[in-house]
Formats: sequence, C-alpha cells, structure tokens
Amino acid sequence: MELKKLLQHWNSFPEVSMEERPVLSSDLEKIVVKNPLSDAFYLRKKLVIRIAVIAGLWLINTWQFRHEWITQGNELYPQGALFVLLLGSLYFHIRLLLFADYPTLLALPLLNFLNKLETVLDKFILSFKFISALAGFYLLFGVEGLLARISSGAAETLSRNDWYKWLILIFLSVSVDILLLHTLIPRYRKLTDTVKKYRDGIVSKAQNK
Amino acid sequence: MNNSTKKDGPDTDLRSLLKHQHKRVYSICRLFAHNYREHQHLFTNIIAAASQNIRTRKDNSDDKQTMLLRACINMAALHSISLELEPAVDRSIQFKSPDYQRSMTNFREAMGGVSDLEKFRLFLEFEKVAPEEMAGLTGITLGSRNLNRKKEPDTTRKNFIPYLKEKLIWS
Repeated sequence: MELKKLLQHWNSFPEVSMEERPVLSSDLEKIVVKNPLSDAFYLRKKLVIRIAVIAGLWLINTWQFRHEWITQGNELYPQGALFVLLLGSLYFHIRLLLFADYPTLLALPLLNFLNKLETVLDKFILSFKFISALAGFYLLFGVEGLLARISSGAAETLSRNDWYKWLILIFLSVSVDILLLHTLIPRYRKLTDTVKKYRDGIVSKAQNK
Repeated sequence: MNNSTKKDGPDTDLRSLLKHQHKRVYSICRLFAHNYREHQHLFTNIIAAASQNIRTRKDNSDDKQTMLLRACINMAALHSISLELEPAVDRSIQFKSPDYQRSMTNFREAMGGVSDLEKFRLFLEFEKVAPEEMAGLTGITLGSRNLNRKKEPDTTRKNFIPYLKEKLIWS
C-alpha cells in the first residue's frame, strides 16, 4: 500500500452527491440528542428497569422478612436468603450502571473503550446468575402457593421441611439458569466475543508493527 | 422552530464545531462505509457521539477536537463490530453518484484488505493529526508490551487474593 498513491486517490474524491449526503444543518437538532449506541451495546434501560424491579421486590421482601422474624415463621431462612440476594443483586446492578457510565463511554480512547464495553457485557452476562437465583426463589414461593391451594397437607409438609425447600429452590434456579443460557445469553456472549476478537485483532496488529 | 426546541438543542459552540468539522466525519465514513445507507447511519451516529462527548466535557477547543476524533474512531469500530455480527451483509461498494462510486472503488482497490487499525492510521494521516496524538485517540502505543494488559497480568505485583481482586475490580 503506497501512501502517496492513496493520498492521490483521497484528494481526488468528489463530494458525496446531495441525495446521498446526510443532511447536517436541518437535522442537527435531532441528531445531537440521538443515542449513538445501538440497543445491543446500550444496556442502560435494561439495567434501570432491573434496578427498579429489584428495589421494589426488596422493599416487599423487607416487610415479609420482618414479619417472619417477629412471628418466627417457617419461611424465615428463605426470606433471609432472599433479602441478602436482593440486596446483592441491587448492589451489582447499580455498580454496573455506574461503571458503564454511558455519557462518557464514547469519549474514551479506542482500546479503553473496547475494554470497558467488554467488561460491561461480561458483567451483564454474569448478572443473569442473579436473575436465575431470584427466579428460583419466586418460583418456589409460587409452587408453595399452588400447593396450598391444591393440597394443604403437601403444602404443610413442604413448609416444615427445609431440605425439600432448598432442594426445590436449587433445582428451579439451575433450570432457569440453563433456560437463560440457551435463550437470552448467547446473543450477549456472541457480542462479547466479537468485541474481544476485534480488540485482540487491533492489539496484535499494533504489536506486530 | 419554537424557542423551547432551541433551548433544548445544542449550544452554538457545539453546533458550529460540528458544522466546521463534519468533513472529518465524512472522511471516516469513506473508509468504513460500503454503501450510502451505512454512510448515513455511521455519519449520524458519529455526530451524535461527538455531541455527547463534547457536552459531557466543557473544556477547551483542542479537547473538543479530540472528543470528535475519538467519537469517529469508536463509532467506526462499533460499525465494524456490528458488520462482523452480520456475516451475510452485502459489502460491495454501492453509491448512487457514478463519480463517487468510481472514486470509492478505486480507493478501496488501492487500499486493499487493510486492517481497521491501518484504516484508523490512514484516517489520522489524511486528517493531518500528529502521530504522537494517536496514542491519546486509540490508546495504542506502537511497540508497547503493555497493550495486552488484560491478558498478561503483571506478575511482579502478585496479589494475595487474585480471584477476589478480579471479581471486585472491573477494569
């Protein structure tokens, strides 16, 4: 590749025809407020929705946990575990949102930008583990509620037997995790791998120079 | 346009900077876009990214230039990543204007199958950006062994709980 030849080609470029040229002046007001990141890379909305939902669930759980604590109910330990899990999930999601810092993300130098993008996507994939665990808890409560309606005897046995409860909880959480691994996660995994491959390509090219 | 829209719109400095510098944005589009649709998409995304970068940092004009160039480079990289995610996409040069189509075809032929890093270097060269500024724009220092920091952890600074550190500190 000869730089002089390329420069010659570059300087002989005609202007883009008017019909192809993106309009700048009249659309500038609209363009500057547009979000430059596509949905695949922009996880802010998803994170905010999750934070709002988890915060709501945590408030409800706090009240239920307090009630179980006062009455020394059968659900004290599951509610306690759920309290810790919701708090952990809330912390993780808020931290991820603050770390991503979308308004300044595109102002980073290329490598730092790609590194950060990869970390955010990686942590977002990790956040599905929290979702699986939370889904396990709420599905368990759903199963308990259903049993209470269908067979009060079975519901009573389950509520008194902690081992069954924890085993069902683990089974449900792992099932949801496997479901997510095959439905939602591959999309993000593919995206992370592509970003990583691209970054590694840039780095290896730079190192070879 | 009413006053309220104007109030919410970009400030005059930002508007004039983008109007003066939009040819730089056209330049990077020339290197990365294959057809006018991609060209328009990349152009608007870069302008949006640049205005976001500049609005978040109200510093001097040199800094604004850097923010614009970083927006160009980062959005072009994202454009390439998005194209990689869609392997079936048509990558032939397709522009309506015959002159532009010819120039683009000739230029791409002369350029050959260069990597994106080379394209960034060409872009900075054509835009007369000093080579020493490249590190600030791309984060790449040529010949440096610290590029792959994520892959090769610093063995001299052994951490007593490396796993925990990796989990707690996101870099």
